[in-house]
Amino acid sequence: MSNLQPAPAAAEFWRGLKEVFPVLIGMVPIALVLGAQAVAKGFHPVEAPLMGGVNFAGGSEFVAVGLWTTPPDLLLIAVMTFLVNCRHLLMGAALAPLVRQIPARKIFPALYVMCDETWAMSLADARKRGMFSLPYYLGNAAGMWVTWVLFVGIGAVLGPIIGDLERFGFDMAFTAVFLVLLRGAWTSFTAARPWFVSLAVAAPTYLILPGAWYVATGATAGLVAAFLLAPREEI
Amino acid sequence: MTVDLWTMLTIAAMGVVTYSTRLGGFLLLRNRHLSPRTLAVLEAVPGCVLISVIAPRFVAAKPAELLALAITLLAAWRLPLLPTVLISIVATGLLRHFL
Repeated sequence: MSNLQPAPAAAEFWRGLKEVFPVLIGMVPIALVLGAQAVAKGFHPVEAPLMGGVNFAGGSEFVAVGLWTTPPDLLLIAVMTFLVNCRHLLMGAALAPLVRQIPARKIFPALYVMCDETWAMSLADARKRGMFSLPYYLGNAAGMWVTWVLFVGIGAVLGPIIGDLERFGFDMAFTAVFLVLLRGAWTSFTAARPWFVSLAVAAPTYLILPGAWYVATGATAGLVAAFLLAPREEI
Repeated sequence: MTVDLWTMLTIAAMGVVTYSTRLGGFLLLRNRHLSPRTLAVLEAVPGCVLISVIAPRFVAAKPAELLALAITLLAAWRLPLLPTVLISIVATGLLRHFL
């Protein structure tokens, strides 16, 4: 057990920051698009990066901006934020066994910056090295948070100057990132069957129902499929 | 365009809801023994939500949008994140302009 000596925290933090760098470059156009779209929907240029920093979950922020009105429908946006982010419940649960040694006063604030990327990278790192490294995770997260807030802010300021970003195809960056994330999570067709169920339910829901219900119905259908298709219980 | 109270409250609500999802699963599920079935569901969740959020792209009405999606899909399958994003933006911009 004790042959796993933790590396110095500062070195681990830098390692996390260095390894997250390619992800940050991919984030920049998405953050710019979010900032620009938020201002186009009536956000003050300060409010867009504020949302990015406080909420720090890009998918739900795009959904919120998509549903934004003046004044915003707080309840609708809160519910949709929950639906888009309910995956965090299971991500947190998956993380828990790896961080038992870390005291609550450290892990509770650290969870504030748990997102798809920081979670996936630190979990992959823990699998590779045999232990979860909190400073590595925080290095991932610091890079993500600062880049997100900074470039959402820049997008909010530049957006009105550049004009219609959709005309140039920038909004597709969001889809591209999601597809790359899906590719990264792909293990086999069998394991990915629930995703296809999600797609098959979410797409028609989008055509039929207004708002972001397609996220809820698609995700729920996928979960039900995952449950039903899972290997039999051995009792 | 001024900083607005309802906007502030909505952003605060989003922050609270999102943090509750981050903390909730960690606190409520951490001491449970998770069955293979639960683990299979666990593994499928992020993908299910991601694909659901971008599902509208798959039923876009314009051919340019569908073609751009196909190119993005192909790039995402083969290439790292940054080239995929760049190819996707350029292809989408060009297709919207010329189709």
